[in-house]
Amino acid sequence: MWPTWMNMLGWWQWAILLAVPPAIISLYFLKLRRHPVEVPSTYLWSRTIEDLHVNTIWQRLRRNLLLLLQLLLLLLLILALVRPAWHGQKLIGHRFVFLIDNSASMSASDVKPTRLDEAKERAAALVDNMESGDVGMVVSFADAARVEQMLTGDRGALRRAIRTIAPTKRPTSLAEALKVASAQARRGSVAQTQDEEKAPAGPAETVPATAYIVSDGRFDRVTEASLGRLKPVFLPVGEESPSNVAILVFQVRGQERRENWLQAFAQLKNFGPETLRPDVMLRLDDKLINAERVTIGPGETQNVVFDVGEVDSGVLELVVDARDCLAADNRAWVAINAPRPAEVLLTTSGNEPLELALGTRSAAKLANITVRPPTFLKTREYAAAAAAGAYDLVIYDRCRPETMPQANTFFIGNVPLGQRWTLGQRVDAPQIIDTDPTHPMMQWLAMDDVLLWEGRPLGVPPGGNVLIDSDAGPLLAVAPREAFQDAALGFLLIDTEGGQPVSRTNWPIRPSFPMFVLNTLAYLGGGAHEPGGQSARPGQPLVFEVAGEPGAITVVAPDGQASRATAVRPGQYQFSATEQLGTYEVRSGGKPAMRLAVNLFDPNESDLVPRKALDAGTEKIAGQSGWEAARREIWRPLLLIGLAVLVVEWMVYGRRVGM
Amino acid sequence: MSTTSTLLSPELLARLEKMELVSRKIFRGRMKGERRSRRKGQSVEFADFRNYVHGDDLRFIDWNTYARLEKLFLKLFLEEEDLHFYALVDASASMDFGDPTKLRYAQQLAAALGFVGLIRGDRVKIETLGQPAAAPSPVFRGRRSMWRMFEHVESFERGEQVSLAVGVKNFCLRNSGKGIVVVLGDLMDKAGYEPALRYLLAQQMDVYIVHVLSAEELNPELKGDLRLVDCEDGDEAEVTVTGPLLKRYHQTLGAFVESARDFCTRRGMVYLPVNNEVPLETMITDYLARRGLVR
Repeated sequence: MWPTWMNMLGWWQWAILLAVPPAIISLYFLKLRRHPVEVPSTYLWSRTIEDLHVNTIWQRLRRNLLLLLQLLLLLLLILALVRPAWHGQKLIGHRFVFLIDNSASMSASDVKPTRLDEAKERAAALVDNMESGDVGMVVSFADAARVEQMLTGDRGALRRAIRTIAPTKRPTSLAEALKVASAQARRGSVAQTQDEEKAPAGPAETVPATAYIVSDGRFDRVTEASLGRLKPVFLPVGEESPSNVAILVFQVRGQERRENWLQAFAQLKNFGPETLRPDVMLRLDDKLINAERVTIGPGETQNVVFDVGEVDSGVLELVVDARDCLAADNRAWVAINAPRPAEVLLTTSGNEPLELALGTRSAAKLANITVRPPTFLKTREYAAAAAAGAYDLVIYDRCRPETMPQANTFFIGNVPLGQRWTLGQRVDAPQIIDTDPTHPMMQWLAMDDVLLWEGRPLGVPPGGNVLIDSDAGPLLAVAPREAFQDAALGFLLIDTEGGQPVSRTNWPIRPSFPMFVLNTLAYLGGGAHEPGGQSARPGQPLVFEVAGEPGAITVVAPDGQASRATAVRPGQYQFSATEQLGTYEVRSGGKPAMRLAVNLFDPNESDLVPRKALDAGTEKIAGQSGWEAARREIWRPLLLIGLAVLVVEWMVYGRRVGM
Repeated sequence: MSTTSTLLSPELLARLEKMELVSRKIFRGRMKGERRSRRKGQSVEFADFRNYVHGDDLRFIDWNTYARLEKLFLKLFLEEEDLHFYALVDASASMDFGDPTKLRYAQQLAAALGFVGLIRGDRVKIETLGQPAAAPSPVFRGRRSMWRMFEHVESFERGEQVSLAVGVKNFCLRNSGKGIVVVLGDLMDKAGYEPALRYLLAQQMDVYIVHVLSAEELNPELKGDLRLVDCEDGDEAEVTVTGPLLKRYHQTLGAFVESARDFCTRRGMVYLPVNNEVPLETMITDYLARRGLVR
């Protein structure tokens, strides 16, 4: 980058200027009026200065520092007068918002040491190039934006704010960041104009600001970005084709035949341009239990299945041993928690088939079943337990509570309160015409041999699922109520006629009935957690149900730091400080109760190929350099150096004279 | 006859009377003197016997031996001759520096050494370099010539324009005899002192080089930007005298003295660098005595 010159002088001024150095040199030699001294012989002197004569001119110049300093000073002055300047290197505008992406993909090491460090460096370089009077603010963004530094002209504060930005494992959302930046920039401009007590030239929003988005562009298309008065400049970070293999899915399932026999299922994807052959290792509680080498072509997805065996509880960790650019997506965890039997209350005045079905060994594994007569619903004990969420599922057989409990419910021959559930008129012999086999409650059920004597079609509230449909209308449906699920069955299993139980359907003697009861216990009772418990994305809250004192529930993060979980409702808790990847241990009263995993599982973050342009609303922001062509003049430092030379010259002169 | 001399003080003369010139070689003299000669002759010191041959002086026959052996032997005695002492003074303009001037100092030294020679009956010649080859200078012999010699030495005038080599060559042409020659000068000849000294070597004389240096040469008190003018040939040297340059000058001077000493020592000459600020008495009775010129 060569400086450009600006001619500030006319030819005669140049002539005068260029005449000065020869003048100084000639004056210097004229000044040398050597004092003649007669000596006995110049013999020795000649011999002394003999070798000095070889370069007399240089010797003279060398011995006269003052002359050199004067010439240097003059040179600097001439240079300053020529007004040299560097090309380019000026930020666009005078108000800046530095948006720095610190999402998971910015931890990629394709740019050494990481993309985030590179982004911070580039942002710092931008700050360095701010001119006095410019103001800027720093916003870091992942899925949420965070204002690191409000609008200020203090470049030191901006640099500090940029330095403090730490990487996260979160996904990216530019829309939010742009909204925050736009709002903050506007607010900052109002505050600033008030501070300066200037009459604003127009509405505060009209002061334009440049938003420097330093990111790899790995986020979904921004559809609703309100840029306001922000002029976006996108500075892409990252190499063209970084190698990365990521775990996108890692789950643990029981086998169909043998429920306790667990299988781990993982999906790997190679986002890089080269075929990779990483070792995939499965660890249980830090012990290697299985490993496999997989070959994944560029852009391909590979599924890996491991047999884990019978495991009651523990932490399964999947490690992909690949030297790729992003380490965060090379490990995934699944926490296997010992199943907790659901607390189920059955209120019935007597229902033999149901009680039989609930009395099986399989059902006993899933739930602790308490049977109470309908009169129990009136007691204070029930009211307290229902309100405190002591039950996971309450089955109301031909009865209704006065208020809905804090639990999942299953109504037989009735509908839940409120929620726009309705119960139609009695229909004789309705024909089952459809079931929903995809719903967990209806899995593996063959209902074609089930006959109904009578039924009352259900009015299902919006958001509900019809599980059994008949020619008369829905007969079994599930609908959400707040955090719970309510199910209603539109026909009776058994009725009482004159004190004698009368069967109203042949379902209880069909094989599908005990299956349905187990499905219901598993789904509504929540007793059959997926063996590989819950997994959340970083930054998303973990919601879990655990018994214990509400104040005594703590969560230990992967780094060993314990913090308290907040209660959402009785028995249910939430933990939101899930920045780290790994397993979080929930403790109830100090004792480990369960474990939960936080995994990246984000193809958007794992795909490290940086985008050259990004969509923000209707605009397409192309990646660009961030500079505006400008002259950066350097005559000021030249003059300052000249001043320093002058001072040195004075010092040298002073020493000469004092000698 | 005046009893005072501006050249040498009476006290110094009194001390000099007890001294004598030392020659490391035995030379053949011209007249009978006080120096032992290689020649056999008449003196009180016995040298050898030899057989009598016809024509020998009967006065030297050792009659005691004849009485004992009945053979005629001649008794030989050592001959004592005079020593030739030459002092060659450089009277060029460059000698006119210092306090006393180098020339004056050289004159005093020459006179003092000449005086010692006169006392011992030596043949003394004191000349300047500028003396033409065909113009012989007076010869001094015996104590009576002392005042004449002093006058002669005092009459030396500074400013002779002759190079060292030419002066020495002329000297050698004039004086073919052997003896001690003492060259008193500053050796500052742009053509170099070496050819001049080689002439003396060719004469097979006992050569003493007394290198007279003044404070101007030993410790020049010069400062600043100067144009140095050579007092002899008007040569100019422009120098900016700084600490490093002075250091360099001293190195050059030291090298010059050392090379002269080396040159002389290799050729059997005695090199004596002297500072004109050292008192004459100290110089002769102590310094020169220690270097073996006098005793």
